Amino acid sequence: MTAALEAAECGKQVILVEKTPTLGGRTAQLYRYFPKMCHPTCGMEINLKRIKGNPNVRVMTMTEVTEVTGSRGNYAVTLKVAPRHVNENCTACGDCGKAVASEIADDYNYGLGKVKAAYLPHPMAYPQRYVIDPSIAGTAEGEAAKAACKYDAIDLGMKEESVQLTVGAVVWATGWRPYDANKIQPYGYDRYANVITSVEFERLADPHGPTGGKILRPGDGKEAKNIAFIQCAGSRDENHLRHCSRICCMASLKQTQYVREAWGDEGKSTVYYIDIRAIDRFEDFYQMVQKDATVSFVKSKVARIAENAANGNPVLHGVDTEGYHRYATEHDLVVLAVGMEPEVTGVKLPDDIILDSSNFIEGSKDGGMIGAGAASSPLDVNRAVQSATAASLKAIQVIHKTASTEAA
Amino acid sequence: MTNANQQAVARYKNNFLKEVEERVEEGDMVKMCMQCGVCAGSCPLGSAWEHSPQKIFMMIRAGKRDEVLQSDSMWMCTSCYNCIVRCPRQLPITHIMHGLANYAHRLGIAPKGQPTREFAKTFWNNLIKRGRTNELTLTLAHYFANGIGPGIKTALNMQKIGLGMVMAGRLNPMEIFGGHSVKDLKGFHAVLAKAKEIEDRKKGFAA
Amino acid sequence: MADNKFAAYICSGCGIGDTMDVAGLEKIATREGKMTVVKNHPFLCNAEGVQMIRDDIANEGVTHLCIAACSRRAKAEAFAFPTAAVSRANLREGVLWAVAEGADHDEIRQEMAEDYVRMGCAEVKKMKLPEGNPNKGDAQNKRILVVGGGMSGMTAALAAADAGYEAVLVEKTGALGGFASKLWKRVPFSSPYAEPQATGVEEMVAKVTGNPKIKVHLNTTVTETAGSPGRFKINLAQESGSVSEESVGAIVQASGFTPYDMAKLPELGGGQANVVDQAGLEALAKSANGSAIKRADGKEVKSVVFVQCAGQRDDSGTHLPYCSGHCCATSIKQAMYFKDANPDVDTVVMYTDLRVPGMGEDFYRSAQQKGVIFTKGKASKVSGGDACKVEFKDLILDEETSTDADLVVLATGQVANAGVNLDDWTEVNTKAEGGDEAAKTQRTEMKTISVLNLNYRQGPDMPQFKYGFADSHFICFPYETRRTGIYAAGPTRRPMDMLQATEDATGAALKAIQAVENASQGRAAHPRAWDLSFPSARLEGCTQCKRCTVECPFGAIDEDEKRFPVFNEQRCRRCGTCMGACPVRVISFENYSCDTVGSQIKAVNVPDEDEEKPRILILACENDAYPALDMAGVQRLSYSAYVRAIPVRCLGSVNTIWITDALNAGYDGVMMMGCKKGDDYQCHFVKGSEMAYYRMSKIGDTLKQLGLEPERVQTQEVAITDNARVAKLINDYVEQLNEMGPSPMKGFG
Repeated sequence: MTAALEAAECGKQVILVEKTPTLGGRTAQLYRYFPKMCHPTCGMEINLKRIKGNPNVRVMTMTEVTEVTGSRGNYAVTLKVAPRHVNENCTACGDCGKAVASEIADDYNYGLGKVKAAYLPHPMAYPQRYVIDPSIAGTAEGEAAKAACKYDAIDLGMKEESVQLTVGAVVWATGWRPYDANKIQPYGYDRYANVITSVEFERLADPHGPTGGKILRPGDGKEAKNIAFIQCAGSRDENHLRHCSRICCMASLKQTQYVREAWGDEGKSTVYYIDIRAIDRFEDFYQMVQKDATVSFVKSKVARIAENAANGNPVLHGVDTEGYHRYATEHDLVVLAVGMEPEVTGVKLPDDIILDSSNFIEGSKDGGMIGAGAASSPLDVNRAVQSATAASLKAIQVIHKTASTEAA
Repeated sequence: MTNANQQAVARYKNNFLKEVEERVEEGDMVKMCMQCGVCAGSCPLGSAWEHSPQKIFMMIRAGKRDEVLQSDSMWMCTSCYNCIVRCPRQLPITHIMHGLANYAHRLGIAPKGQPTREFAKTFWNNLIKRGRTNELTLTLAHYFANGIGPGIKTALNMQKIGLGMVMAGRLNPMEIFGGHSVKDLKGFHAVLAKAKEIEDRKKGFAA
Repeated sequence: MADNKFAAYICSGCGIGDTMDVAGLEKIATREGKMTVVKNHPFLCNAEGVQMIRDDIANEGVTHLCIAACSRRAKAEAFAFPTAAVSRANLREGVLWAVAEGADHDEIRQEMAEDYVRMGCAEVKKMKLPEGNPNKGDAQNKRILVVGGGMSGMTAALAAADAGYEAVLVEKTGALGGFASKLWKRVPFSSPYAEPQATGVEEMVAKVTGNPKIKVHLNTTVTETAGSPGRFKINLAQESGSVSEESVGAIVQASGFTPYDMAKLPELGGGQANVVDQAGLEALAKSANGSAIKRADGKEVKSVVFVQCAGQRDDSGTHLPYCSGHCCATSIKQAMYFKDANPDVDTVVMYTDLRVPGMGEDFYRSAQQKGVIFTKGKASKVSGGDACKVEFKDLILDEETSTDADLVVLATGQVANAGVNLDDWTEVNTKAEGGDEAAKTQRTEMKTISVLNLNYRQGPDMPQFKYGFADSHFICFPYETRRTGIYAAGPTRRPMDMLQATEDATGAALKAIQAVENASQGRAAHPRAWDLSFPSARLEGCTQCKRCTVECPFGAIDEDEKRFPVFNEQRCRRCGTCMGACPVRVISFENYSCDTVGSQIKAVNVPDEDEEKPRILILACENDAYPALDMAGVQRLSYSAYVRAIPVRCLGSVNTIWITDALNAGYDGVMMMGCKKGDDYQCHFVKGSEMAYYRMSKIGDTLKQLGLEPERVQTQEVAITDNARVAKLINDYVEQLNEMGPSPMKGFG
């Protein structure tokens, strides 16, 4: 959104292509930001307002780039638009949702809850328009949803479309995804209900989340007060992600404060870490958390997790390396600070895109395509915005230079 | 053997890390450790280790030569490979532990009477004699390592298992008379001698 | 006014028509709202409904329209009529979805809807037609001034030039290159992140000096910055004494950093022989030129210890409290200098947390591969001299120990060159203006470190964020400083490494370009981007009280010789804090004024005391509290139908007249909902919310005079996620007011 808006507000024409049904990306799924503990939706409201008011931005949701040909200054982009089955007539009145009974996994809550198969992804969703899940598109339920709509907004016959565009520069702001925690075998994410990921924990703490903001563990709905945070779950690891994902230390420090917010002095957070990377002025947040009596730190990469079958508590095994102390510690809930994997990992990209060893986008050989934000490096929101602003100017430079060459 | 130790000390002065890198199996990977401690926590026998692998790596870097080489910690390794599988830096920790133990043994400063070390010696001696292990003599040598009394006691305790193995054809009582050898025992010994020569040259033990 | 034609369009869709009496609403719009054209439509936001409105504008001469349908946050694109004045009455999120279902609520629900129609009509009647901005003519300069000729400054100038904009680059020393020119090599910018790279400074200097779009002033400082985006006048002074003037449209401040003075670290050997900081090591490496690094005394270094976080991450208040971010990677790079020249040099990096995020992990691994030793330890004492000694606690081996070295490098941090601290300056300046001679001298002294020498009423430099950095407080908007059209870039904004500084400078150049484009079109900058409305003041009514000039969060207002406010419109962010501050209400915007809000407050029908229907005014920040109210509706979290909510640009724009108007009109209570204030403020206009609290703390006397309880006015911090909380706050307040009984002012209005 930043790359698009910054260019648009310089007077350039921008097409913003988004794979999911709404804008906002992963930040829209965060409860609070570090270090201010403010809400991501606040900045999103401003950005959405900018988008709504700016005629230079055209937003295409549920759309993916399938091919880019051509070169700097003159790219032909092929887009694949998935059927939303809901057109611009939708007023988000919600009648279709009421007419539908089947439920699907709630992506907004990382599958921690369910949502109707005719749904508005979340209260801040933009475009503010419902989505009919493909699973009911050809069914009686789909018809029921259509019948419930007074505004002729539901089109069950919508088909996948292919769209061609010509553009001068391409900014890849494709972001990241949480590393698949199932691959970290010793931590038992696939086996133990009370081992969750950091992104899931955001949803548990969020009043818009599946528990209404109560920190209840998934295994048995019990209040989780004694929580372990395991750093570098997948990051800094030759067996998983080779890079450091940068945000996870600060994210866990932030999440210890969710525990405090929820339970006060009764809460207990333990952070298991290798190095606390509270870089630059975030250091004061770390110092603040260190002074919090409910938070303790153990310098250790946890070796493995077992489960206490009697109460469902995860038991962490490892060694505190500061002085060599062996531990087997039981917690109510374990939060894995999972790393950032580029969303484009495993996706076929145009040939001249340059990736680094972790699949982050460095750009294209001729400079006409630019990586931005977390697609270019594991970045926090602030740095991602900075990077996207810079990427936006690089794109403008491409347009400017190729246009002036053409003119000459 | 103490001579070998003195020579090593003289050669590497205070640079124990360099000594390990040059003379210990896969010792050149020690420097890659980032002190996360996952090896220490992953070891099923961890509580028997006075110093965990990650701590040993730090001690090597800190030049604690005697404390490391005279330690019995690396003799605790049972080669389960948990640490190797989990190490985020892919250090061959198991191999390094055996390498360190072997190096200390060669220098003659490994802990005396350390059971794993004694068994390893017994095993090696048994193996090289005929080019294959003799289950019966190996077992007996191990049982009687601490004298006749304890040997008989252990043997009696293990009687059932022994008989079971005999019944299953896994143990031949006739092996007590020496048992059979590999086909070319002479050749086998020549291979071992050559291997030792190469190893000594590589690790700087050659004269 | 003769040409104005007013129309109201009432949507009956989304269930509005099923639950409310739309004909009744139409009647209100006609009779009370005095709308000439009143229409209803079952689906106003669809193509046909919108076309109906467009036709009325084109054919019927409608100029002002009130759309009574969904929230102003919904269907914004459909209801965009750029030539008309538009108000939105929020019948869907604000009434239909917010009031509990059921027939027993029909009456109060209808009353609420009627009031919103009245308010929408009243508001639009006070709005002026959008005229574009007539004052943009003199703000057409599109050149970019870059202050600072280091890596960040050169990058910004080149970035602007490559996008077609002229740049003026001012450097106070005799050469471009800045701190980067003192380096032997830099940390790698791209994969494989394994080896130190050439700095590229020389090539960059050549690019800058050879670029026809970039004008370079060396040995030069900025002695005065006057004006606004699009029309800055910059006075420059050369070391030689000659002066010149430049006209520019926007400014990038890339004034860099100074290494923390290691003389302040005597316990770590600062000042002793063979103890250097990272800059000192770069100098040694440069003179070695790739061969073995030698100390100042000529002895070849065979062992070196890098002490990380020297004078940083200090929570005792003595040294820098923050981490400078780059020093771990820098020490790694410097350790490689030694290893690359001679692998036998012992290099130890002593750290507590090794901070090499992202691909820095590869650089760390590469150093380990080269044999650099990393020791997790905390140094307690360093002694310099011929044989240096570092005493430290080894945190892994849990012991106090020491190590010897030929050379010790202290990784001290970055101190921002951000100019004058405005908080200190304001204090001194106030005294100086009061005639204090000592303060006058002190003020002159203070200004010697100024970077920009702004002639602004609020002081000579950008307001600083934490620890002296000229940073933005906003996570989502890192470039939004409090001086419009002036952007900080590089380590003066935030501690950072060279890669980040070049990215940062590129982004700052974009913001500067945006600023000149906006100024030339008369558009507002962030966060009300592209707002064409502008503040105007009836100066004949002004009492020269200076509240507006002092309270403007963006330093947009100066004072003339007669102490009248001078509005520098291109600096204005349209928050309305000046409007809220003005005791005589002479400041307004074309579509947002004391009148547009005041008339809405007065338009509400306040029932008599005996009807037992309280009325509560909510003034809600349009960015956070108002969306929270909307989303409470979306989620059907019912709240009382007795409230009437008006979105405000910022709580800072709330003029106390609105409060007294409401209380005089017989409202039973007023709720103000704004963003979090204090250190971690969330107000996107910086201190609007804080100002509102301050002003309301003074309103007690007024209430007393009116014979009212202080509880009749309350101020709440509301976040955008507070959907459920906001509904509860309202319902609790209604209960509280019910217990207090009706306002004694009822019937007097």
